[in-house]
Amino acid sequence: MPSGSADAAAGPGGPRPPAVELRDVVKAYDQGFRALDGVDLRIERGEFVAINGPSGCGKSTMLHLVAALDTPTAGAVLVDGSDLRTVADLSAYRRNHVGLVFQLHNLLAHQPVLANVELVMFGTPRNAHERRERALDLLGQVDLAGREHRLPGQLSGGERQRVAIARALANDPELLLADEPTGSLDSVSAGHVLELFQAVHAGGVTVLLVTHDHGIAAAADRIIEMRDGRIVDGAPGGGAADAVPAVGPA
Amino acid sequence: MAFGKFLLRGLWSKKARSIGLTLAIAFAVMTVVTLEVTSSGLEQAAAAVITVGKADFTVAQKGTSDLLSSSVDHSELERLRAVPGVKQAIGVLVATERINAANPVFIEIGINPADLAGFGVTVVAGHPFAPTATDQVMLGWRAAANLGLKVGDRFHADGTWNTITGIYSTGNSFGDAAAMFPLPAVQGYNRLPGIVTLAFVKVDPGANVTAVARRVDHELPELTTIRTASQFGRADRNLVYLRAAVTGSTILAVAIGAVIVGNTMLLSLFERTRELGLLRAVGWTRRRVVGLLVGESLVLAIIGAGVGVGLSFGVTAVLERLPALTGILHANYTTGAFIRALATAVAMTILGSLYPSVRAALLVPLRALSYD
Repeated sequence: MPSGSADAAAGPGGPRPPAVELRDVVKAYDQGFRALDGVDLRIERGEFVAINGPSGCGKSTMLHLVAALDTPTAGAVLVDGSDLRTVADLSAYRRNHVGLVFQLHNLLAHQPVLANVELVMFGTPRNAHERRERALDLLGQVDLAGREHRLPGQLSGGERQRVAIARALANDPELLLADEPTGSLDSVSAGHVLELFQAVHAGGVTVLLVTHDHGIAAAADRIIEMRDGRIVDGAPGGGAADAVPAVGPA
Repeated sequence: MAFGKFLLRGLWSKKARSIGLTLAIAFAVMTVVTLEVTSSGLEQAAAAVITVGKADFTVAQKGTSDLLSSSVDHSELERLRAVPGVKQAIGVLVATERINAANPVFIEIGINPADLAGFGVTVVAGHPFAPTATDQVMLGWRAAANLGLKVGDRFHADGTWNTITGIYSTGNSFGDAAAMFPLPAVQGYNRLPGIVTLAFVKVDPGANVTAVARRVDHELPELTTIRTASQFGRADRNLVYLRAAVTGSTILAVAIGAVIVGNTMLLSLFERTRELGLLRAVGWTRRRVVGLLVGESLVLAIIGAGVGVGLSFGVTAVLERLPALTGILHANYTTGAFIRALATAVAMTILGSLYPSVRAALLVPLRALSYD
């Protein structure tokens, strides 16, 4: 949970705040282009939400704001009831509260798979042995046991993305954010990755997945459709989380 | 995995950059260490002259460019002997001469034979020269061994052939590698009648050496007292200039090295922008990112310092064998030289990595991730 000013609804004894809440969020750029134009969104704990829409509709921008990789021009982004503008240590927030998966996996090419998973655990209370054990456990969960000493370049695209998912889960995040995680994968690999997300979700993690692929989005509990920086629809999806084993927290 | 292993793997993956940076540091360290050990060697050789006589302190002319240019005349020597607390002041004239290629700066000491015992000289073979002889000499046992000479042989020096009357020992390697002549003979050959270069002073038993030396400094202001090699600069300005040149060269080497390190790291930063952006995006703090970069640099600095010292050993060995420097240049490897090597490498690395590290710390993760 990020440390910052908690929303009034999160008081002792009261209902727990939503996992993510966007309040009239605007993200505008110098040229006047509004990537997000007054977005309101509430994602409950344990939800699997897919943000769907065409390129440039603002879905990745929204994800970056929730990941504290960017700041809104106006409005507020609250995670677990805390306004991210008031969170003092955003590095700790990114490290401990969220897991990030990118379209291009963003693994360090010169570090072996194991180190790529372990690197997010530097700065946590885990010692070197615990980091290694945790990384090996996660690699086993994503079916990469025995490949921990390979370099990313020696893996297929789907395997690399599974490493990225293992890395994202290393610090037991409450929120998993994925930006087009299947965008560069073939359909078989994409299917495997999607199963992993469902398994993570089944483990109790809130998942926010950005995709322009309706087929992938359909696996979520809820699909949020975006157009031109606005949410145009928030229909329930056909999530099948109960059908897969859980992946994630140790 | 430990952070250090992660760091080392990063360095290993960029071998060309790591080797280039290490060599840049190594060359700067080599320059600094070579200058340090050779100047220290020169300083040691120059200062060795004051350790020949078994004295409490040595007296020379103040502020000469070269100690061997010091000039103390007969009247000053008499005034020195009259200073309260001074028991004995032996005047010697020190000169150098090229004997052969292996001995380009052979030391010649002019001294009265009556002063030999007081000067700490023991005749180990033959006998001393006559006080006013112009063709007699005694060789230190090291000089005799080096030159392959013995008592009765002839030795060409001071413009004439001299008969070796004796072989002496002083217990001092510098003095034992020299030759001693009658004082008037050396004064005559060097056209310095009544002049000595140095006076070797012994104080009265029980007298405070420092107090007597201060009294000499006060009563003979044109002269200066030297008790240790570190005080050598009082009389020998060349040594002061030499130290200043070494310090200046060190600063210059550090500055050049820092620019090279900084330039390489800055290029590396551009190359690694996405990597560093990713690390920030997944929760690395600015401090950890800076720690990674500075840590990498420090590892290279330590390796560079080691390589630099190794190169310095090679370079000084070559310099000592150059015909123009044989017998003159002697490397003097001290603990200080090694500390200076490490300090140089670390200083240039810290200076060079300062700006790139700040740039890295200020990277905006999202922009860095999309950097192409």
